[in-house]
Amino acid sequence: MANDSIWKRLISSLDPRHYNIERWSYTLHRITGVVLILFLIAHMVEIFHISLGPESWAATLALLGRLGPLENIGLWIIAGCVFYHGANGLRLLLNQVFGLLLGKPRMPVYPYTPTSLGKNQRIAIWTITAVVSGIWIWAGLYILAGLGIV
Amino acid sequence: MNGSDEIILRVRRFDGTREWWQSYQIGLTGVTSVLDLLNKVREEKDHTLAFRQSCHMGTCGSCGMVINGKPRLACQTNISELDAGVVNVEPMHNSPVIKDLVVGLDSLIENHKKVKPYIIRGKKEEIFYAPREFEVTQEGTTQFLQFDYCIMCNLCISACPTVTIDPLFLGPQALGQAFRYLADPRDEGWAERLELVDDDHGIWRCHFAGACSYVCPKDVDPAKAIQLMKKELLKKRLLIRRGKKGAEITEPLQPHFTEEKLTAAPPLDFKRGD
Amino acid sequence: MTEVMDFDVVIVGSGLAGLRAALQIMKNDEGKLGIRVAIISKLYLMRSHSVSAEGGTSAVLYPEEGDSMELYAWDTIKGSDFLADQDVVWRFVNLATDEIRLLERIGLPWNRRKDGKIEQRWFGGLSFPRATYAQDKSGFFMMRALYDTLLQYDNWERFDEYFVTSMVIEGGKFKGFTAIELKTGKMVFFKGKAGIIATGGNGQLWRITATASSTTGDGYGIAYMAGLPLEDMEFVQFHPTGLVPKGLLITEAARGEGGYLINAEGERFMKRYAPSKMELAPRDIVSRAEMMEIAQGRAATDKVSGLAHLWIDLRHLGKEKIEKKLPMIRELGLKNLGIDLAEAPLPVRPTAHYTMGGIRTDIDGKVLNDGHGSVDGLWAAGESACVSVHGSNRLGSNSTIECLVYGAIVGDGIYKYLEQHRDKDTALPKERVDSEENRIFNGILGKESGGEDVYQIKNELKDTMESNVHVYRTEEGLRTALVKIQELKKRYRNIRVDDHRPTLNYNLQHALELGFMLEQAEVVTMGAYLRKESRGAHARLDYKVRDDQHWLVHSLAWYTPEGPQFKYIPVNITMWKPVARVY
Ligand SMILES: Cc1cc2nc3c(=O)[nH]c(=O)nc-3n(C[C@H](O)[C@H](O)[C@H](O)COP(=O)(O)OP(=O)(O)OC[C@H]3O[C@@H](n4cnc5c(N)ncnc54)[C@H](O)[C@@H]3O)c2cc1C
Ligand code: HEM
Ligand code: SF4
Ligand code: FES
Repeated sequence: MANDSIWKRLISSLDPRHYNIERWSYTLHRITGVVLILFLIAHMVEIFHISLGPESWAATLALLGRLGPLENIGLWIIAGCVFYHGANGLRLLLNQVFGLLLGKPRMPVYPYTPTSLGKNQRIAIWTITAVVSGIWIWAGLYILAGLGIV
Repeated sequence: MNGSDEIILRVRRFDGTREWWQSYQIGLTGVTSVLDLLNKVREEKDHTLAFRQSCHMGTCGSCGMVINGKPRLACQTNISELDAGVVNVEPMHNSPVIKDLVVGLDSLIENHKKVKPYIIRGKKEEIFYAPREFEVTQEGTTQFLQFDYCIMCNLCISACPTVTIDPLFLGPQALGQAFRYLADPRDEGWAERLELVDDDHGIWRCHFAGACSYVCPKDVDPAKAIQLMKKELLKKRLLIRRGKKGAEITEPLQPHFTEEKLTAAPPLDFKRGD
Repeated sequence: MTEVMDFDVVIVGSGLAGLRAALQIMKNDEGKLGIRVAIISKLYLMRSHSVSAEGGTSAVLYPEEGDSMELYAWDTIKGSDFLADQDVVWRFVNLATDEIRLLERIGLPWNRRKDGKIEQRWFGGLSFPRATYAQDKSGFFMMRALYDTLLQYDNWERFDEYFVTSMVIEGGKFKGFTAIELKTGKMVFFKGKAGIIATGGNGQLWRITATASSTTGDGYGIAYMAGLPLEDMEFVQFHPTGLVPKGLLITEAARGEGGYLINAEGERFMKRYAPSKMELAPRDIVSRAEMMEIAQGRAATDKVSGLAHLWIDLRHLGKEKIEKKLPMIRELGLKNLGIDLAEAPLPVRPTAHYTMGGIRTDIDGKVLNDGHGSVDGLWAAGESACVSVHGSNRLGSNSTIECLVYGAIVGDGIYKYLEQHRDKDTALPKERVDSEENRIFNGILGKESGGEDVYQIKNELKDTMESNVHVYRTEEGLRTALVKIQELKKRYRNIRVDDHRPTLNYNLQHALELGFMLEQAEVVTMGAYLRKESRGAHARLDYKVRDDQHWLVHSLAWYTPEGPQFKYIPVNITMWKPVARVY
C-alpha cells in the first residue's frame, strides 16, 4: 500500500469502513469541502459572464436552463454540502482550536474507550447530523418546489 | 470453545515479488487469540509463514496486523470476539511490506526520534547528578501517563488516513509522544518541541479523523494528544504562552555513580534483619 | 563475504540491562572518547522482554521511614537460601537507590504518594515495603524511559532484528559476535573491543511460562558453546501465579497489595506453609505450597485445558484500588478468560518465570572463564548473567533492579576499560566467521528434504521439562528427562528448515534457538540431577533438606561434546552465616 499511486492512496484514505464515526465525518468533510471549492469556481465563472455583457449573461443562463431539474438538484446538494461542512467545521474548530469535547488526560481503564472519541464527540456529531438533515430537507422543499417532485 | 471447532484463516502473503491470499483450515484446540492461531498454523501447517511476536500479553507491540479489516494486535484479539467463521489477516497498511505479515518500521522509529522524546531540562546535569527525585504529584503524573502507555505497535499509523496520503507526515505515534513529554511536569522543552512539530509534514496535517485513537490498543489516545497540542501551539503562536518551568530540585548536584559506593565494604557489626 | 561492523562496544540484548549499560557509557563519554556502541537485538530494541515486567523494583528510598541497606541485604540473602554471594549483594543494595531516582529523572511515572514522594509496596520475602512501582507496568515504563532517553545520543547505532549466533574469543580475548541480519538473511560480524551479553532468561524451555516467545536463553547457549561456564543453572524460578492455561503472569504485587491465594475448598492454604508471611512468602515457597495442594487433591481443575489450579482472590481490594495499582492484570484476566478480578477470583498455577543462574561473572560483571581468570573485554548483565545476587531463589522485584545496577556497573567498567584501550585492533578472525557461516548456511539451511521438524522437537522438549524438571524434582524424573534431552539432541543434528527464502527466515531462527535450548535444558537437568539437596527453587523430593555441609556451593557447567561437565565452587559469605529459612 505504501508504494501505491497517489490516486489509489487518496481513495483508500477516504474509505472509512471498519472505522469510527469520526473518520466517516472526516471523509464527508473533505468531500463536501472539495465540492464547495469546485462549486465556487464554477460559480465565479458564471458570475464572470455578467461583466461580459447582457448577451453573454443570458447565454449562460440559457445554458444552465438546459440542465432542467438537474440544476435544482445540484443546488440542493451544494446547499447540503454547505450545511454539513459548516456545522461540522464548527465542531472541528471546537476540537482543534479550543481543545474541547476531547476529555482530559486520565488514567486508562480497561476496556479502553478513548475520550476524544467519547460521548461528547458522539453527541456533537449526531446533533450535527440531525440538525443538518432537518435544515437540508427544509431547504429541499424550497429548492425543489418548482419541480413537481415535492 | 469446543475442541472440534475449525476455522478458516486467510493470510495475505508476500514473498518479495508476489502477493497472494492463502487459506488454512485449522482446529481451534488450545487457541484463544489470533496470534495463537497463527502460531498453530506455522507449527503444524506451514513453517514458512512470517509474522512477528514476542510477549503474548499486549505490551511489546510486535504483533500488529490488519485483522478482518481493522488494525489490531494479534495477541489481544480473541477469535471469539471476531464473531466470524473466517479470519482475514493482512500486513499493516501505510508501511512497506517485507514478507507476509511483517512490515518495515523505519519511519515509525525515525519520526519518534524526531520529536525529542525525552526530558529536556534547562540544566542538563540535573538528570544525572541531582541527589534525589523530582517531587511530582499523582495528578501531575496523570497529565502524561496515558500517553506514556504507547507500545510503538504502529497500529495508529496503519489506521491514519493522513499517513496514507502524506508518507512524510510525522504521524500519530510521534505526535502523541511529543505531547507526552510536553505535558510532563518535569520537562522544560515546551517551546523547542512545539517548533519541531510545527512543520510542513507536522501537526497541522492532522484533520482529526480519530482513527488512531480508535485502533490504539493501549488507550494512548493520540488524537486527543494532538488536538491538545494544537491548542498549545496556537498559544505559542499568539504569544499567550512562552515556555514552561519544570518541577525543581534545589539541593546541590552530586556525582551519582561514585567509587566509594562501588567499593563500599559492608559494616562488620551487622544486625540480623529479622 | 561476510560484512564486518566495527565498534568499540557491542551490546547484545536491549532489555533493561543492555540499555542501562548503553546509557552509562553515553553519559560517561559525552563526546570525550567518541566511543561507538552497537546495540543488537533479535527483536526491535524496545520490544525486549523486559517490557513485560509488572509489579515493581526494589530499593531503599527513604531510610528515615524504617528501611535500611542491611535489611534489604538480609532479605535478599535469606531469600536466596544463602546461595547469593554476599559481597555482591551488599554492593547491589547500595547502588539500587540511585537507579530508581535516576529513572525518575529521565521520565518514569512511578506511582506517587500524596507528598510527591515515590510510593512503595510489599512484595514476597521483604521485611519492608520497598517495591517501587508504576502501576503494574513497571518494566514497561522503565524500558520506555531508558529507550527514549538514549535517543538523544548519537554515538550509538541500532541493529534491530539481528540474530546473534555465536561469539568469537581468541587467546582469552573477546573479538566479536557473528549475527544474521534477519531482514536480508546475510551473515554479519560485529567486531568489538568490548562486548556485553544481556540476552535475558530461558523461560521458553517450559510449556507453561510467563515469558515472551523470544526468551530462549540464546546468550547462555552462545557463551556455553564458546567454552565459558554457566553457573547455578539448575535454579529456575517458577512464579506461583501464572494465569491458567498459558501461564501469563499475574504479578506478585497482587498479593503485595493484599490478595489471597485460596484452594478449591476456599481455604487460604498458605497458613500451613508460611504462617507468618502467608501469601507474601518468597516465590519458591509459595510455588511448592501450590504444587503440594495440587498433589493432595485440594486444587480445582480447569475445564478447557484440564490443568489443576488454585485461585487468586482480589475481590476485597475493591475496584478503585485495582484500577489504580493493578490495571494490567485486570486487563489480562478480562482479555484471556473474560473474568474481571475485581468481581471473581482468577485461576493460577506455577509458571516458568526466571533463570537464577547464568553466565558466570565477577563482582564487576566481567565474564569469568573459570574460577579465576576473566575473558578480556567481555561482560554480562541482567538475567543472562549470574553475578550471584539471587542465589537459589530470587526475590520478586529484585531482577529489574539488578538489570539497572549491573547495567550501570558494566557500562562504567567498560568505559574505564576503553579509556585504557584506545589502540585499534584490525585483525579479523576470518576462519571462525567462515566456519560459522558454513555451519548455518550449509549445515542447517542446506538440507533440502528429510530430517527432523523444528517445532516437533521443541514441543517434545517443553513437555519433558514441564513434567520432569519443574517445582518438585526426583532422581527418576530427572533421569527420564536427561535421556529424552539426549535423544532430542541427537535428532537435532538432523534438523530440517522448510523456509529457504533469505528474508526473515523465522524457521531458521527457531532452529538456531532450539539448538541453544537443548544445550541449556541439558545443563539445567544435569545440574538438578547432581545437586542432592533442596535449596531455594531447587526442591528434590528424594533429598528434602538443605545440606550446607556439602552443597553450599555454586555449580559451574562447561560444554563438552559428550554433555556438560560440572565443577563446584564456594559461596562468598561475608556477612551472615546460613540459618534455617522460615517465613
Ligand atoms: C511476566 C514477567 C514479569 C516480571 N515482573 C518483574 C517484576 O515485577 N519485577 C522484577 O524485578 N522483575 C520482573 N521480571 C523479571 C524481569 O523482567 C527480567 O528478569 C528482566 O527484564 C530481564 O532483563 P534483561 O535485560 O536481562 O533481558 P531481556 O529484557 O529479556 O532482553 C533480552 C534481550 O536480548 C535480546 N536477544 C536475546 N537473544 C538474542 C540473540 N540471539 N541475538 C540478538 N539478540 C538477542 C532480545 O532481543 C532482548 O533484546 C518479570 C519477568 C516476567 C517474565
Ligand atoms: C461555513 C463556513 C465554513 C466553516 C466553518 C468551515 C470550516 C472548515 C474547517 C474547520 C476545516 C478544517 C478541517 C480540518 O482541518 O480538519 C475546513 C476544511 C476545508 N474547507 Fe471549510 N469551512 C467553511 C466553508 C467552506 C467553503 C465555503 C469552502 C469552499 C470553498 C470550504 C472548503 C474547505 C476545504 C476544501 C477544506 C479542506 C478539507 C480537508 O482538508 O479535509 N469550506 N473547513
Ligand atoms: S499510540 Fe497506540 S496505536 Fe500508536 S503506536 Fe502507540 S500504542 Fe500503538
Ligand atoms: S506479542 Fe507482544 S503485543 Fe502482541
